[in-house]
Amino acid sequence: MKKTVLFSMALVAGSALAAPKGEITVWSWDVAAKALEATIPSFNKKYPDVKVKVVDLGNQNVYDRGLAGCAAGGADLPDVYSVENGEAEVFWARFPNCFVDLTTLGASKYINAFPAFKWTELSVGNKRYAMPWDSGPVVMFYRRDLYKQAGVSAASIKTWDDFIKAGQKVNAKFGGKVKMGVVANGQDDEWFRMLANQNGCFYFDNDAESVTINKAGCVDALNTIKKLYDAKVVQTGDWGGQITAFKKGDIATSMFGAWYEGTIRSNAPELSGKWGVFPMPAAKKGGVRAANLGGSALALPASSKNKEAAYAFIEHALATNEGQVAMLKQYGLVPSLLASAKDPYVNQGQKYWGNQKVWKTILDTLGDVPAARGTQFFQEARQVMVVTQADFISGKYKTAKEALDAAAKQISSITGLPIAK
Amino acid sequence: MLRLRQNLVPYGFLLPYLLIFLLFWAYPLVRSLFDSFDDSRILGFSFSTTNWTRLLSDPFFMTALKNTLLIMVIQVPIMLMMSLTLAIALNSQMLKLKGFYRFAFFAPLVVGTTAYSAIFRLIFNTQYGAVNQGLNSIGLPSVDWLNQATPAMIVIMLAMTWRWMGYNAIIMLAGLQSIGNEVYEAAAIDGANKWTTFWKITLPLMRPSILFTLVLSVFGTLQLYTEPALITAGGPGNATMTIGTYLYQQGFRSFNFGYASAIAYGVAILGAVVSWIQLKLLGSDNT
Repeated sequence: MKKTVLFSMALVAGSALAAPKGEITVWSWDVAAKALEATIPSFNKKYPDVKVKVVDLGNQNVYDRGLAGCAAGGADLPDVYSVENGEAEVFWARFPNCFVDLTTLGASKYINAFPAFKWTELSVGNKRYAMPWDSGPVVMFYRRDLYKQAGVSAASIKTWDDFIKAGQKVNAKFGGKVKMGVVANGQDDEWFRMLANQNGCFYFDNDAESVTINKAGCVDALNTIKKLYDAKVVQTGDWGGQITAFKKGDIATSMFGAWYEGTIRSNAPELSGKWGVFPMPAAKKGGVRAANLGGSALALPASSKNKEAAYAFIEHALATNEGQVAMLKQYGLVPSLLASAKDPYVNQGQKYWGNQKVWKTILDTLGDVPAARGTQFFQEARQVMVVTQADFISGKYKTAKEALDAAAKQISSITGLPIAK
Repeated sequence: MLRLRQNLVPYGFLLPYLLIFLLFWAYPLVRSLFDSFDDSRILGFSFSTTNWTRLLSDPFFMTALKNTLLIMVIQVPIMLMMSLTLAIALNSQMLKLKGFYRFAFFAPLVVGTTAYSAIFRLIFNTQYGAVNQGLNSIGLPSVDWLNQATPAMIVIMLAMTWRWMGYNAIIMLAGLQSIGNEVYEAAAIDGANKWTTFWKITLPLMRPSILFTLVLSVFGTLQLYTEPALITAGGPGNATMTIGTYLYQQGFRSFNFGYASAIAYGVAILGAVVSWIQLKLLGSDNT
């Protein structure tokens, strides 16, 4: 009896110096969750005594339960929490004590290891509440075989007008059965965000001080979506619908953040070699052909019982080439760790993509992405925009400007931020 | 002394319930009223009436209110008429296998809400759903059920009708069976035909059970959340957003608990108004 007490006291005393051990839980979603799982083997080589359990709750659920957990003073939260950059700020604004400031655990040495724009939404003053993970440079994933059959060449699609012309050719060839994309109209406003960001416009300005959703770049973005619908080159569908559509060959193109590469590859292994990638079409000739959609970070809830092990996991997955490149290889998550872009893997042709060097194509757009900031009002602005876009597509407004003026007014009254002059 | 102790006995029995009532009912009621005057954009409590002014000028709230009332005015009466028809059919002398039918119409209620919502999503899927396949097989075009405003609303109403029609029919059936046979015999002697008997006897005597199902359905609709949240997620756009889903969105997604509390009190006021109208219209007796 006495012996065991002594023995366990020795354990307690030793644990401050020894390697982390015990079990940690990680919350994430879809491909991101699988990617984190892919880093566990190399993590366990370094830390054999830590057991990592990744739970895939689905994207919206992670957010909802995270907020609810913070509101309940840190109850029901995991040890490592995935958060999208765009919607991260609401956490730090409303619950400044819900997550650990990672600089207290030694994250300061990584500040220059990531691009500055990835830190913006994760920092408050000198505090850094989460570590950057991936980014979502937007590209077009296309079916080489279907393009070829319709007589369309990906290289000739330089503007959205070219894209519509290509879509009409595809329509003519397949009798309208194959579309050039799936828009989650009525469910989400991803297309609007991608196109607006490409035009250097977003819900708010980058200082989070005014509403900018009715500026010219956003108006143009919304108009383009309407044009795509009017030309009948896109169909409507949600996340699951788009996966079904590309598996069945009902779409010849998918526009998304580059992390969608893993979604396509893991859901449709049978289509290996039939896919390729090209940069987004520009608004007009010679315009920007890059945007960013999504991209996430990992945070460490203050209620975690095993912060050392949790931080070790975050550090290994995000701040080492080993972790980031493992996620890129298996699930196509684009590293925001600067050193990873130089990894030899990036310059290799990818078998699934017809031996195209897709990662080079994708990472080359990163430098052209206009900065955009979600702010703590991201979700609310998005809800307004989802409805505005659906209403505009269904013909409720005469012009895109009129629709976005209404949206700006509503977002302004919700957030208390003025509409930019 | 003894008397005092005896007087305390009933309170002793009530105490556990009272404590739970205070903690889980009274406290949240008061607290959310307090919260509805809090500007939740600022950390900590700061008194402001912005939530209330926003409620009155919020187009989303108006949409949610409109959708909720639309369901109340269209779906509830149609469903109750169907329930009444069903109850009379189930009560018929000619019907065989009564027990089986009663079970069959009551069964939807036993299915988990999440499961049935998922099934509805599947059967109304535009490309692969059973409903569109059926329409196509009789030469009709597909409908984009969940991605268009009116069809999505119809799906919600159908789902709710499917789930609650049998339940209400069973309540009405109980009312129907409590009507004594002698009334019908007397009517038959007076030479009343089937139709007159139904209008003059059956319906008036069933009033209590019909009113009961009406009140239940109206308040159920006011708080409607599950079906629009799980089948259509309030979409497309806000076409099927109800007060319940909007409250959830504001409270748990945008984290505006102050505003969500104001919405909740708005619903409570609305419920009070509806109750008052029901009492005025239908009289307070035998409800």
